[in-house]
Amino acid sequence: MSATSLLSGAQRIVAGLETAGVTLAASVPDTWIGKLMATVRASQTIRAVDAAREEEAVAIACGAALAGGRGAVLIQNAGLFNCGGVLAGLVELYRIPCFFIVSYRGDRRDPVYYHEPKGRVTEPTLDAWRLPYAIADRTGDLAAQVGRGVHAAQTSRGPFVLLISGEDLE
Amino acid sequence: MTPRRPLLEALVAMLRRDDVLVSCLGANSRYLPHLDVRAPTFALCDSMGAAIPLALGMALQRPDRHLVALEGDGSLLMCPNVLATVAAARPSNLTALLWVNGHYESSGGQDLPSAPVDWPSLARGFGIAHVERVGDVAALSAAFPRARAAKAPALLIVDVAFDPNEPIPPYSERPAEIRARFKIT
Repeated sequence: MSATSLLSGAQRIVAGLETAGVTLAASVPDTWIGKLMATVRASQTIRAVDAAREEEAVAIACGAALAGGRGAVLIQNAGLFNCGGVLAGLVELYRIPCFFIVSYRGDRRDPVYYHEPKGRVTEPTLDAWRLPYAIADRTGDLAAQVGRGVHAAQTSRGPFVLLISGEDLE
Repeated sequence: MTPRRPLLEALVAMLRRDDVLVSCLGANSRYLPHLDVRAPTFALCDSMGAAIPLALGMALQRPDRHLVALEGDGSLLMCPNVLATVAAARPSNLTALLWVNGHYESSGGQDLPSAPVDWPSLARGFGIAHVERVGDVAALSAAFPRARAAKAPALLIVDVAFDPNEPIPPYSERPAEIRARFKIT
């Protein structure tokens, strides 16, 4: 058993953020993102910022990027739906790298019934908004998947979304 | 009520080279290219409500620089919750100026919802430690250094005249130009 396999999924995701040079993570939590942010808060290199609403988190992460750091946004898919305006009018318009980790509520792995409508429209919304994305694969190297997402945001100078499920954090 | 331009000129004159300025969309962003601004400036032309959180992200990333954010009352009315976010993050290097004229000036001068918003009480209620209200150049010139020295999140509420015939210049810089030039050294 490798040392890496002893880490929880949340720890591997945060290790990926750290390795990718993320300096600030702005978040509005749900149950899953809250667990992930608890791990972020233990990081020595990532500043955790609690935002009241998701659009703010996007702008905060963009500010960190414009000031020489690397910002990430950790929110639920419902929160991502709030972000159409700031994605178009800030991230896309000014070409700012912005990496998202988004909890994929309502997909087939989510046990909570009332999230189902959000799950149904998540990938169609990402496609319609032309947001590049990947779905995390917990059987693979989660840290590397995070790293590839951060790199994609950096090289495109735009958004990249990594969708996660609660089981990815275990 | 004082017009916008002399207030903006007074503010710009107080900025230092090592400050960083973030401007909301609208009149402020449209005037700034015509003023002698010493500080690096990131001017928005869209995304209402983004100026303060954008400046907050910069302030947290660069605690060695003082961030000055300009926001309009129409924009902040959309997302006053950002004041709670700022208060929670407690940057000691962020001063926001809220320009209050009761109108959506950049979209044609429509009235804001006609509620008597008590901005100072709202800001204090959200936990912003240093709040002052100013209405002329002399008051702004006195208040801005106090806000800078507060070592806590500061909000200056600037009452500014609304003139539907004010000859505000059009946007003269494209986002790609603003993005390319903006650098905090």
